[in-house]
Amino acid sequence: MREAEVKPEVMRISWGPQHPMSGQTRILIDVDGEVVRRIIADIGFTHRGIEKILERRTFLQGIVPIERMVMVDTANVALAYVQAVEEALGIEVPERAKWIRSLICEMGRINSHLYAFGLQVECTGYFPAVFLWTTVDREVLLDLFEKLTGARWSYSFFIPGGVRADLPEGFRDEIREAVRYLRRRFQDYWDAMVENPLFEIRNRGVGVLSREDAIRLGATGPVLRGSGVDMDVRRDEPYAAYGDLDFKVVTEREGDCFARLKVRYHEIGQSLNMMEQIADEIPGGPVRMKVPLFPRSKRDVEALSRVETSRGELGVHIFTDGGLKPYRVRINSPTLRNMYVFERLAELDRVLVADLPVVLYSIDPWYLDCDR
Amino acid sequence: MPARSEGEFIDALRRGHPELIEGAEVLRAKRVSVVAKREGVLELARALRDEYGFTHPVSAGAVDYVKEGRMQMIYYLMNPDSRFMLMLRVDLPRDDPRMLSMTQIWEAMSFHEREAWEMFGIDFEGHPNLMHLLLPPDWRGGYPLRKDFKGEGISP
Repeated sequence: MREAEVKPEVMRISWGPQHPMSGQTRILIDVDGEVVRRIIADIGFTHRGIEKILERRTFLQGIVPIERMVMVDTANVALAYVQAVEEALGIEVPERAKWIRSLICEMGRINSHLYAFGLQVECTGYFPAVFLWTTVDREVLLDLFEKLTGARWSYSFFIPGGVRADLPEGFRDEIREAVRYLRRRFQDYWDAMVENPLFEIRNRGVGVLSREDAIRLGATGPVLRGSGVDMDVRRDEPYAAYGDLDFKVVTEREGDCFARLKVRYHEIGQSLNMMEQIADEIPGGPVRMKVPLFPRSKRDVEALSRVETSRGELGVHIFTDGGLKPYRVRINSPTLRNMYVFERLAELDRVLVADLPVVLYSIDPWYLDCDR
Repeated sequence: MPARSEGEFIDALRRGHPELIEGAEVLRAKRVSVVAKREGVLELARALRDEYGFTHPVSAGAVDYVKEGRMQMIYYLMNPDSRFMLMLRVDLPRDDPRMLSMTQIWEAMSFHEREAWEMFGIDFEGHPNLMHLLLPPDWRGGYPLRKDFKGEGISP
């Protein structure tokens, strides 16, 4: 038929940066009817130049700006920077401080995964209640953060040489209680959401990323593990207390939005186990070493610290020149890598306009982390 | 030829491609660093991907050594089987910061090269889409991450 030969008209739609669901970025989509032919991620709306800011701060002052990268998962980001500073300056960390660091990082991971979980469910349009559930349940963790560090967000708790304070009285029991409460809630999530056929229809088989493509395109974190690649910095290059903790790297084989959600779901379970283990087995001793307020670096030292944040591998590469400030800090951000994967997904799989929010939020984008 | 240890990998690379590398060292367990010659970087990259299994691109960024008159572009790569992380470094003269784009080998380096292009002024030949990534499209203020960049007098 002649009609089939007519080239369909492709329309370009700009989604964001003021759209409530796009976040602080603009996504250009070329649509052919309902099918997305091409995605262009126009990032950079929240670029603050953190790499440059860090060059003008002393090693200790740098903790504050770098925490602004991922507010929902501050601990992991700060840890990457602090570990790089420690390696560059040759600072030792006591064993108990390492365990407290792991504890806060796992609490931060649950906090962040809850947010991502709620948003992805929200994107399917059926269940606005779940986002409220996860938001309320995060309060349990935020209260613990407040008790331990004095702040609910961006607590600047890690410093070179350890952590700022020891666990308060009775804190270990509070951890156990929080874990018990969250375990019960997660069973509710599983029953109400993951096993809900409506939710499954909107997520299963959507935005499929194969194992080979995930490796080739440099995906990271739950996106990579959702495609069946068994990579996790916590196990491959253990830092903090992860060498002593028992945990399993969660992978799913399907590579679709549903698999990525399930990876996050099961990682929350692993983090809860780790929290309990830390509460039971944390060793005694001091929590910080004496470190000068303005430590001076040696000449031409470089240190790369890799940390598995909730969005994937974050690398902080510090170069020194013998001064009080770093010469250069390179931040390898996980969302930037996953945004590239998102750009390519329209070519790898058939993505419909209606599924685009689900696909975007299944990679758990955090634009402040992407733009730095 | 899967290398079992970091040292074996370095030895194999030194034997296999001595003309393409300037230096190679083991930084610590699972971390290796290779300095490539600018002319043969594409050939070396292809060998690293196809022969040595560095198929997983992580990131890329540059450092400006203004006193030495050079810049260094660093590509961070992973081998998903051995979990080795490789830093592939290329030294570029500061007055002519130009190199071949790695996007032919690792497609995902596209974003990182665009960033290095706008932040350091490094020109990547053969990049399919060299345009602003983080800075505004009409940015005319120079290269912000270079060491001699002065932030004054630039209107937002």
